[in-house]
Amino acid sequence: MKARFAVIAILAFIGMVDALYLSIKRNAGPIPCHVTHGCTDVLTSRYSEIAGIPISWFGAGFYIVMFSLAAFKVFEDPKYPSQRLTGLVFYLAGAALVVSSLLVGIQAFILKAFCEYCLLSAALVFSMFLLAPSPARRKLPE
Amino acid sequence: MPKAVKPLIVIVLAVAVAAGAAVYLSRQPDQTEITAAPTHADIKGGGHIRGLEKAALTLVEFGDYQCPSCGAYHPLVKEILNRYPQQLRLEFHHFPLITIHPNSMLASKAAEAAGEQGRYWEMHDALFDHQREWSDSPNAEPIFVALASQMGLDSNKFMQGLRSPQLQDRILRDVEQGQNAKVDAVPTFFINGERVHIKLSMEDFVQVIEAHLPK
Repeated sequence: MKARFAVIAILAFIGMVDALYLSIKRNAGPIPCHVTHGCTDVLTSRYSEIAGIPISWFGAGFYIVMFSLAAFKVFEDPKYPSQRLTGLVFYLAGAALVVSSLLVGIQAFILKAFCEYCLLSAALVFSMFLLAPSPARRKLPE
Repeated sequence: MPKAVKPLIVIVLAVAVAAGAAVYLSRQPDQTEITAAPTHADIKGGGHIRGLEKAALTLVEFGDYQCPSCGAYHPLVKEILNRYPQQLRLEFHHFPLITIHPNSMLASKAAEAAGEQGRYWEMHDALFDHQREWSDSPNAEPIFVALASQMGLDSNKFMQGLRSPQLQDRILRDVEQGQNAKVDAVPTFFINGERVHIKLSMEDFVQVIEAHLPK
């Protein structure tokens, strides 16, 4: 189980770099976009911010929280595993998956342009959700 | 050592390393762009000129009216022209990316149709200022016609302009010039033929213009 949270922490770390890079680079001219060629369109669209704050900053916050939760799970005493932390990781990853799907949908159907950094983030969120153990899972009685 | 200290150290370290990596990466020049795109281009005029004919510097912009980035740069371009009215002029070329911006060609035609009535720059500004209203519209033509009416243009002439093959040819000549200059993104800027990368900030615009002003 610890290995899963270690992988989640690594994915969250990659996500942190990705989201912070986008946040810093956003107002610093065209963003290199060699695969999808639509990064600037996506990142300057009306959907790229909420109340004037770029979505990438929210993403960075999410990844920092996910990394922190996963780190606490990795270092917790295996004799007393925290179900609350496990639940938080699972539900947070689930909520992020919903938001990520929405953002990918906006890219595909409204903007008709893709940002490779955003797609990487969506892939990371999807992987984290798959890895996050469901808190509802109970051991079967022997 | 309390149990929570270890993960806290790891978290602080990870955030610091991630922030450092992000800052480092954001300061790296775009190598592919630098090596793939030529630094100079022979742009043979033909664009719409805004500013003094005798200005020392010509800022050539290849732009797409539906491109959000071009819309974001538009107020900066206007501001920089106001700051250097004697030294700088703008030469705008159409470069509609029709595969990802389905309304961009019609928008360029709208600007050209307004230009036929001597109001090109008013429509140019209006298209960028109202970009969000028409950008995602499945039928942008009535919005352009409404903009033309607000500007007091002759609607019939404007409509004829939207369907004019001559105006479309003019736009396509701009696109061809852009392709010859290896333009592959919008907006792409040149100053006196030299391709320049300008960040989305007034400070950077001023810096780039100052660096090109004759000493």
